Amino acid sequence: MALDVLIAEDEPSILESLDFILKRAGWSIASVTDGEAALAALKRLKPRVLVLDVMLPKRSGFEVLKQIRADELTRDLPVLILTAKGRRRTAARLKSSGQTGS
Amino acid sequence: MGRKAGGEDMRGPIGIKISSRRKALAISQAELARRAGISASYLNLIEANKRDVGGALLKRLAGELAIEVGELTGDSEHRLIAELEEAFADPVLANLGLGSGGVRELVARQPMAAAALAQLYRAYAAAVASADDYAQRLRADPLFAQLLHRIVSGITAVRSSAEILEDVPDLAAEERRRFHATITREAKAMTEVAHGLIGQFDREAEGRRVVSPVRELDDMIFRNDNYFPRLEAVAETLRGEIGTLNEGTLIDALEARFGVSVRRSAGREVDARGFPGQYHFNTARREMWFQTSAMAATRQFQLSRLYAELAARDAIEAETEAPELRSPTAQRLAYRALASYVAGAMVFPYERFLGDAEELRYDIEALRQSYTASFEQVAHRLVTLRRPDAPGVPFGFLRSDPAGRLTKHFPLPGLLLPNSGHACPLWAIYNAFRTPEQLVRQVVQFSDGSRYLFLARTAVRRAANFSDRAIHISVMLACDVLHADRTVYGVGLDLGDSEADVPVGPACRLCTRRDCPERQEEALTPGSEQGAVRAPLVPRI
Repeated sequence: MALDVLIAEDEPSILESLDFILKRAGWSIASVTDGEAALAALKRLKPRVLVLDVMLPKRSGFEVLKQIRADELTRDLPVLILTAKGRRRTAARLKSSGQTGS
Repeated sequence: MGRKAGGEDMRGPIGIKISSRRKALAISQAELARRAGISASYLNLIEANKRDVGGALLKRLAGELAIEVGELTGDSEHRLIAELEEAFADPVLANLGLGSGGVRELVARQPMAAAALAQLYRAYAAAVASADDYAQRLRADPLFAQLLHRIVSGITAVRSSAEILEDVPDLAAEERRRFHATITREAKAMTEVAHGLIGQFDREAEGRRVVSPVRELDDMIFRNDNYFPRLEAVAETLRGEIGTLNEGTLIDALEARFGVSVRRSAGREVDARGFPGQYHFNTARREMWFQTSAMAATRQFQLSRLYAELAARDAIEAETEAPELRSPTAQRLAYRALASYVAGAMVFPYERFLGDAEELRYDIEALRQSYTASFEQVAHRLVTLRRPDAPGVPFGFLRSDPAGRLTKHFPLPGLLLPNSGHACPLWAIYNAFRTPEQLVRQVVQFSDGSRYLFLARTAVRRAANFSDRAIHISVMLACDVLHADRTVYGVGLDLGDSEADVPVGPACRLCTRRDCPERQEEALTPGSEQGAVRAPLVPRI
């Protein structure tokens, strides 16, 4: 069975809430805590959606998103960005990194 | 402060003071003029600051007005005026169009208010600088960024857990406990982060000050007229302990009394704080180190200073208990400066040095030879010859690095020596860099008509080896032209003829000579047309 959601988030408390809410809604969940692990897990688990934190160790959310958009296999993957900043500047950076929705 | 004719030719607020004092005593202009033996119209010009007044006439006027000459000339007021001119020229006040004439009047009529204004301006300048520092820090400091991110993450975790607790009615007891635990944990973590943040700000606040420490030190030195009788006495005692003062006797005395050894080596060494230099004292090993390139004058002076610090620490510290020195940094700076003062007084004992200086007519090179001293050391000591009953020629002192930045200064009443940044590019202190280690003399005239003799020479801190670099500095002494003929440097100068004077200002920013071809920066003088900003100079071919 294909995975529904991959969560890339390094804060355990936030991950805990996300995991609870999404599982409760009936989704299958896997999680990683850094950018590199996120890219590796994407290839292996092929999730339908990625929930991506911007401030991640090893590789930032920006870098991960860029990689995803550059790769033929993951180009169309829906990515939900988690950011505590919620600033216009962050949004602009995300757009240039390949975020499509808002 | 027993000062002679030094600043009397300054067209300060003397006229205004004569006038208000006269009015306070209800004497008419004609009456005062008669008593002083001058015409009423001449007194009128003096009171309007259109004529200089000094010497015997000023004494007579002061006598008739039953007031001290010093109160009329007001040396400390010159400094206040300079400070307020700077304040009024600041962009924040420029739109009010307060001219420098207004400054003089304010200082003369409302000295307390003027002093308060100067103090406020200093505090304001310090606050602006500190605000800039903070902004810079917050933009650049990864620590703040990290702490803030921790707080936002914590809030997010608490909020999402709380929302789950609230929004999910059928939460299992186990889950409920888990989310409660998360909230408690995150709240605790945030408290720690907040403490860290507060601690950070507290540390910042400790370093903050209302007045810059350098200014505090300046004020203290100025109040004492750069002469410290108690430290002169200390130096005298220490000299007595050592006998004939030279490098050898200093080394012996340091060894015998304090168990200090002296070592010299060619390598590069750093002091306890990691700063390189030509010398440093290792407190733990009780060892004074000199690089082999350090000159005999440097060694003698620094050994004297070390001896003074070891033998008379308390006496030097006592002098730093001055009301002006409010911040610990200022006290530390003062301690260093005063320890150097004692060393200077040890190397150049007051009376002997004053006698030699007078006899050699202040020939700095000649004085250097008699005392195994550097140009800067002699120049510095000359500035301190201010004992009221036996004063030398009053000198001001400036030091500049090759970038033109002023790194040390001792003010001269009446003459505005910028205490930081750059001085007027025409000053001898800069010309001296063109002819290294040769004395440059110059007679300058300021736009208020005051004239000074400037003497400048570069000095070099020798390179220790091929890979080291020599460091050049320029040192300048300034004295009123009235005293120039007491010095060897007045020889061949027609001091009565001001035709050849170099027209200068204090610094471009504070200079009113709008037609000066050397101008590098537009004057911030209020009232000058805005938009008349000149591009930085390019070489004219």
